[in-house]
Amino acid sequence: MKPEVVALAIIAVIVLGTIAFALSAVRRFRMNPHEYIVGSRSFGALLLWILLAGEIYTSFTFLGAAGWAYGKGAPAFYILAYGTIAYTIGFFYLPLVWRIGKERGLLTWPDYLIDRYGSKTLGVSVAILQFFITVPYVTLQLTGLQILLTIAGYGRYNATVAVSAAFILIALFVFTTGLRGAAWASVVKDALVLLAVIFAGTFLPLHFFGSTGAMFGHILQAHPHWLTLAAPTANYGSAWYVSTVLLTSIGFFMGPANAQSIYSARSAETVRRNMMLMPLYQLVIIFVLLAGFTALAVMPGLKGTQADQSFVLLLQRYFPAWVVGVVAGAGCLAALLPASVLLLGAASIFSKNVLTDAFGVATTDRSRMIWTRALVLICAVLALVLWIFAKTSLVDLLLFYYNGITQLAPGVILALFWPRVSAWAVGAGLVVGEVLAAYTLHLSTGPFGINPGFIALLANLAVCAGVAMFFPRRHLQRPQVEAGITA
Amino acid sequence: MNVLRVLTAAVPVLMLSFAVPLLNRVEPRVFGFPFLLVWIACWVAITPLFLYFVQRLERKA
Repeated sequence: MKPEVVALAIIAVIVLGTIAFALSAVRRFRMNPHEYIVGSRSFGALLLWILLAGEIYTSFTFLGAAGWAYGKGAPAFYILAYGTIAYTIGFFYLPLVWRIGKERGLLTWPDYLIDRYGSKTLGVSVAILQFFITVPYVTLQLTGLQILLTIAGYGRYNATVAVSAAFILIALFVFTTGLRGAAWASVVKDALVLLAVIFAGTFLPLHFFGSTGAMFGHILQAHPHWLTLAAPTANYGSAWYVSTVLLTSIGFFMGPANAQSIYSARSAETVRRNMMLMPLYQLVIIFVLLAGFTALAVMPGLKGTQADQSFVLLLQRYFPAWVVGVVAGAGCLAALLPASVLLLGAASIFSKNVLTDAFGVATTDRSRMIWTRALVLICAVLALVLWIFAKTSLVDLLLFYYNGITQLAPGVILALFWPRVSAWAVGAGLVVGEVLAAYTLHLSTGPFGINPGFIALLANLAVCAGVAMFFPRRHLQRPQVEAGITA
Repeated sequence: MNVLRVLTAAVPVLMLSFAVPLLNRVEPRVFGFPFLLVWIACWVAITPLFLYFVQRLERKA
């Protein structure tokens, strides 16, 4: 049998099998917006763990982390560190966010902002902003999918049709099941990704060099500075590392899909326990880095975006087709499932915070349900169209997603600790932050080697704090939440 | 007590961010792994322990 048939058949079995498994797990649940968007706030520690872990393992981690190890070297270590810092910060504020959400019946970040700051305008603006930042991020997952399907097709097929088919399938899946289905599908996905990544990270260095140490020795011989950061102010130097780690960890939970995951937890304690243990999961990224480094040592010379293909290409060149199929299948799930949760996040924000809050449409549970579902499909089509027509600017879109989403952090976090902050303060900071983030988008490194997104965040915070100091909120009381939110 | 909790949690955060440029080196290698990677990986692995202490501090308070 031809290798591409074997590999693509295995991928198809993996994707369809996962969907079938998840469908059978969620059959018995009655649908309403609460169940659809946040799984009726019923997820225990384990399912939440898997859902949160699922958000780490997008195709960016799967391909991108190996690609960074291959193409940039030590700067890739930031991927290991930033999640861990994000969980440490989240350990303190996310249980409070959950408790407020539970008491006040909130489903999204705009809901939360409307509740905390008493301003519908702020919430609706943020909802529109998040919507337009998230759709391109879905598009990015499609590019990951394309890389995997092209390699698994051994270059004999145009992957566009396969990518579109897989994506429409997953959109219909999440259209049917909502968040709970995505969480159950993530169970299979995580198991497979874990298997694939540990195989790639341990077996590849052993296979080609006899030991991981020998592989690193080989890299150091060819590139003596590959495994350390460059001078502080250099491109991707140590100032870049520190500012990027801080920026990305502060913004880690600000996406629409993250609010959903937090609110799906059964209790504040579930959220907290997850924040405590999630860093252990980060360690798996080491294996991805090892796979990327091995690819560099074995077949150097891939440039630019090709670096993202490095380790899967290595498998394709030196291993039988079924190995390529299993690993690429895991990778496809790592692109499809986060994409499905993102679709759900974008759709629920648009239906709840734009249609209902701004236009008074879709006010009953039943019509909200119909609108949210319709929007899942509309977002999917938007992302697909964007992917087909604008493939070139995707790196910019990824940066814009992170830098843009992160600007919400001051508003979300300060609402918990500083009563003087008003909707005006948050809004002013947000405008300054987003404008700076968009303006500096094309720079990979800003002044003094600092990540420009970090400067945008500092400016945002400074404006927000300045307005709060001089024009404090008129009624310092926020809707109170039982059991004291400072506990 | 609150300050102590924040300070405890800040240790791994600082070790993974501001301390990294100071430990930006390949040697000594640990089982062949470059030192910087080992440093970061170890602090990632220890972070849950620190957060566990933070939780214990709260229970006592």
